[in-house]
Amino acid sequence: MSDVFTAAVLPIASARDSRRYLSAALRERWPGLAGALAAGAVGAAAGVATVYTLGVLVDRVREGAAVGVVAGVAAVLVGCAVLGGLATGLGTYLTGRLGASVLAELRERVLARVLRLPSAMVEGAGQGDLLSRVGSDATTIGKAVADVIPTMASSVLLGTLSLLAMAGLDWRLGLAGAVAVPLYVLALRWYLPRSSPVYARERLAGAQSSQHLVESLHGVRTVHAYRLLGWRMRGLEAASAARRDLSVSVFTLFTRFVGRVNRAEFLVLSAILVTGFLLVRDGSLTVGETAAAAVLFHRLFNPIGMLLFVFDEVQLAGASLARLVGVVDIPETEEPVAAQEPADASVELVDVVFGYSPGVPVLHGVTLRLAPGERVALVGTTGAGKSTLAAIAAGVLRPDSGAALAGGAPLPKLGPLLRRHIAMVTQETRVFAGPLAADLRLAKPGAADDELRAALSVVDALDWVDALPDGLATAVGEGGHPLTAAQAQQVALARLVLAEPAVVVLDEATAEAGSQGARVLEEAASAAMRGRTALIVAHRLTQAAAADRVCVLEDGRIVEEGHHDELLKADGYYAGLWRAWQARTPTSTETKVRLT
Amino acid sequence: MTTATVDTGGAVLRRTVARNRRRLTVGSALIGVHQVCESLVPILIGVIVDRAVATGDGYALARWIAALGLLFTVLTVAYRFGARQLMQAIADEAHLLRLDLAATVLRPRGLRTEQATGDLLSVATVDTDQTSYVLDYIPRLVGAVVAIGISAAALLAIDVPLGLTVLVGTPLVLLALQAATPALTRRAEAQQELAGEATAVATDLVSGLRPLAGIGATGAAADRYREVSGRSRLAMVRAARAQGAYTAASGVGSALLAGAAAVLAGWFALRGDISVGELITVIGLAQFLMEPMGLLAVIPGWVAQARGSANRIAAVLAAPAVLPEPAAPAEAAPEPELNLAGLSYSTLSDLDLEVRGGEFVAVVATRATDGDALAAVLSGRVPPDDYRGEARLGGSVLGQHRADGWPLHAEPHHPDLFTGTIGSNLTAGAAEGDEPDQELLAAALRASAADQVLRAAPGGLAHPVAERGASLSGGQRQRLALARALLARPPLLVLHHPTTAVDAVTEHAIARGLRALRHPERASGPAQTTVVITSSPALLAVADRVVLVEQGRAVATGTHTDLSRTEDAYRRAVLR
Repeated sequence: MSDVFTAAVLPIASARDSRRYLSAALRERWPGLAGALAAGAVGAAAGVATVYTLGVLVDRVREGAAVGVVAGVAAVLVGCAVLGGLATGLGTYLTGRLGASVLAELRERVLARVLRLPSAMVEGAGQGDLLSRVGSDATTIGKAVADVIPTMASSVLLGTLSLLAMAGLDWRLGLAGAVAVPLYVLALRWYLPRSSPVYARERLAGAQSSQHLVESLHGVRTVHAYRLLGWRMRGLEAASAARRDLSVSVFTLFTRFVGRVNRAEFLVLSAILVTGFLLVRDGSLTVGETAAAAVLFHRLFNPIGMLLFVFDEVQLAGASLARLVGVVDIPETEEPVAAQEPADASVELVDVVFGYSPGVPVLHGVTLRLAPGERVALVGTTGAGKSTLAAIAAGVLRPDSGAALAGGAPLPKLGPLLRRHIAMVTQETRVFAGPLAADLRLAKPGAADDELRAALSVVDALDWVDALPDGLATAVGEGGHPLTAAQAQQVALARLVLAEPAVVVLDEATAEAGSQGARVLEEAASAAMRGRTALIVAHRLTQAAAADRVCVLEDGRIVEEGHHDELLKADGYYAGLWRAWQARTPTSTETKVRLT
Repeated sequence: MTTATVDTGGAVLRRTVARNRRRLTVGSALIGVHQVCESLVPILIGVIVDRAVATGDGYALARWIAALGLLFTVLTVAYRFGARQLMQAIADEAHLLRLDLAATVLRPRGLRTEQATGDLLSVATVDTDQTSYVLDYIPRLVGAVVAIGISAAALLAIDVPLGLTVLVGTPLVLLALQAATPALTRRAEAQQELAGEATAVATDLVSGLRPLAGIGATGAAADRYREVSGRSRLAMVRAARAQGAYTAASGVGSALLAGAAAVLAGWFALRGDISVGELITVIGLAQFLMEPMGLLAVIPGWVAQARGSANRIAAVLAAPAVLPEPAAPAEAAPEPELNLAGLSYSTLSDLDLEVRGGEFVAVVATRATDGDALAAVLSGRVPPDDYRGEARLGGSVLGQHRADGWPLHAEPHHPDLFTGTIGSNLTAGAAEGDEPDQELLAAALRASAADQVLRAAPGGLAHPVAERGASLSGGQRQRLALARALLARPPLLVLHHPTTAVDAVTEHAIARGLRALRHPERASGPAQTTVVITSSPALLAVADRVVLVEQGRAVATGTHTDLSRTEDAYRRAVLR
């Protein structure tokens, strides 16, 4: 619980690292990339050839050629139309396929890396950042790959080939057309730095206004109970108005950007026409060729506009990419191989000191030994350090000083063996979305239904599972059949049984289920722990009473240790806790009885 | 905010148009001017080639380039001011719709709807935006019609049969392509759905990172994700294939059409029927026309989407309230006394419960659903038509809407905290602008054991609270919510399992604190009444009396000590 007030951040890749990742991914798929580029180029070339042919037609008309030349022009145009259309279509498909493959690999690598992140890093950074990376960042890139990239690729190709065609007619005409490039770049460089911060603020305002509404909706009972509607609506109005004003102001910027683009269009079109005029006058260009160049550029208005206007999205996707590549590039810190194997199922914590932030130790030198098969309960008030000690025994956290050993082997030296040897069930119960069987198989991939049923029966969950609409195949978790908190906990325990660890660390919340539910869960946990070494964070003292040994932790130190009965006899701290728990000391002197 | 009734999507859209009439008219007119200019660009290119480039007349070139400059100036100015007017209207409208929706879904009388929170949120965010975009579609429609009109006039002026060919051929090609769009949409939707599923699985697994790591299941989880991601990739490839086929068809179709127009115009030009400039204009216009005509083809789809959104908005705005208005106008605030007689609701059947002013009563329900049902009725969320029997607070029927003067506060079991600080959450229940009495605050914090939470929070009262209190543990949230309820000092306080997330020692401290704060031995102010639905012995021990509810009815009442002695069922339910 002590991680509640800490915060850290996950790395974000530099622009260079992002580019390096992308180019490596594209190099791996060079045949696909080459195919997509070739098809797109053929498509664009056919478009350019069409316009060039029309220029020829214009010249023939001016020369007063025979009407028959129209047949040749028509044949070329039909050929270009068919070839160009098919090639562009093929290019679109190949680009989409390439993007899908790069995207799938990226998101799979991100998730695989996230799942293997050192626990301390996850605890430190918090789940919010991770969730937004695998969630909204992956979605942003996905949208860009599906919608923006194909458009962009064909616009760039068409623009480049049009310029080349103009230069092919006459290099001076190409130069006139090339004036467009710096003008568009200047317009973008004016617009992007101004708009991106406003867009970012607009998205934030949008997120804040939805967050405000979500909170109000989820807390609607509280809102009504405290009559907070006015307060909530005022907050919502402010957030929503901020979003409105930001979207208007960013759009105002956008219209000024469009003004600059229009200016560029006018200047370049004029430059082409004036250059054409001069070249026609000195005889180095025909009227038809000038017309073709002007029409070529006019045809670029739409694709270039599209390219410029999606730049925001490209920038956005770039930012998301940096956040994903940042995760992929986190260096592996886990020891790759098991350097040592645990000799038995014992656990040893020697003089463990630990703090979440420097200088604020939570544990002050705790020493604790669990013999193979022994069941030890940790007892203490909230904040005493029970969960922290449990996390250290499970290898989730590493002690600042002192050692944590399993079967004589230091936990970090176990490498991948660690999780097969020691399993931990925490207060966080989560049922994963999908069939219940798939959820259980996370603990033991490939387990047969019978094994799953056996595990469920150990934790006394088989009855209600069989009563589910589709039994083991019932979809549970988000959007599925709702399970109670106690059922979710039983599922977690069944996963534990399937994982078959030698050592179990249990830090689960049983109180939520109410007294009777808690008793069922205690029995389930007890059954799941049978035959294993177990360290239990006892949220209910009945768990302590049933353990082989009880350790009382206060302020990060073990203050009492022994069997339940011994500790009661000693009449110390634990005995006081036990009496409080049993509520046998009447704290109210009033015992009025009023019958209704 | 809702003035006229807007109970259909049509009514929502009509209101949207009506309340933005001025901006919409000005904006559409300016966008129309912009489109006229856009369609004049290819015409002017033809003229410049014809009159200047072909003739070598420098003065003509200067004149016509100036004309082109003027055209672009009008074009860009009309767009800039027209689009801004429209954007202002769109943003205003979306804002008003968001507030309208929020006020409806949060209204105290409740909303009778089948929709989940997520759906309501999507109506309040996505559908409000979609509906406001109708203010964008109308001017686009106007612009497209104007652009087509100008181009058609120009084409027909050059040559009637040629003009007719282009004007009939273009819609035919577009209609043919239109036939392919449902398939395209289907593929795109399938792709989005699977992409959404991949994201959902990823967030699901990452949310469960600790449980997964705890049992060494991260490898299996990665495999599971890889499988979903692979399916999403295949859907994306399928969508790209459909998109590629469509792009090919539309590319071939439009190029053939433009080519046909050019060849026809070239034929006429070769015969001397039209000039070279006219030929170039036809080539440019045949290309340009695809855009406004294509827009005409897709706008109905967009409007249908806006209409769908407006329908969903209307469904929420017109949803009936849950709580009825009281038959008689509100009298003086009812006495803080509860009287439930023969109450049947959910699993409760024939429950009797009476709580007098100043009492501290605990209720133990052996069945969890009985406790939930009782808490629901006491909170006033259940309209009288939904339960049978009597449920009264003083003289007032529970479950009728009351604006104010209601002496009962029921704290929900799942504590709802809001983004802000610990302090802003604690004082949310206090009257507005009222600085809470420091002494009262300290007392409430002590009684709820929330003082421990504050000690652990570096910023104290100013310590930030994340969305829905996610930065706090369950036990911390529970104690802060309890402190907030105590600070509000309602004459009658109903608590529902208030200590399920705290440890035994803290639970004990809370029980003693609750007793001392609300029911002191020597009461100084007006007597306060407390009802706690719980199975915690600590809380039960400090109550004046405990009511045992079994199978939906009250079967015994007495002190904790008495009931522990005499009632087997009670012992089973509460003793640990």
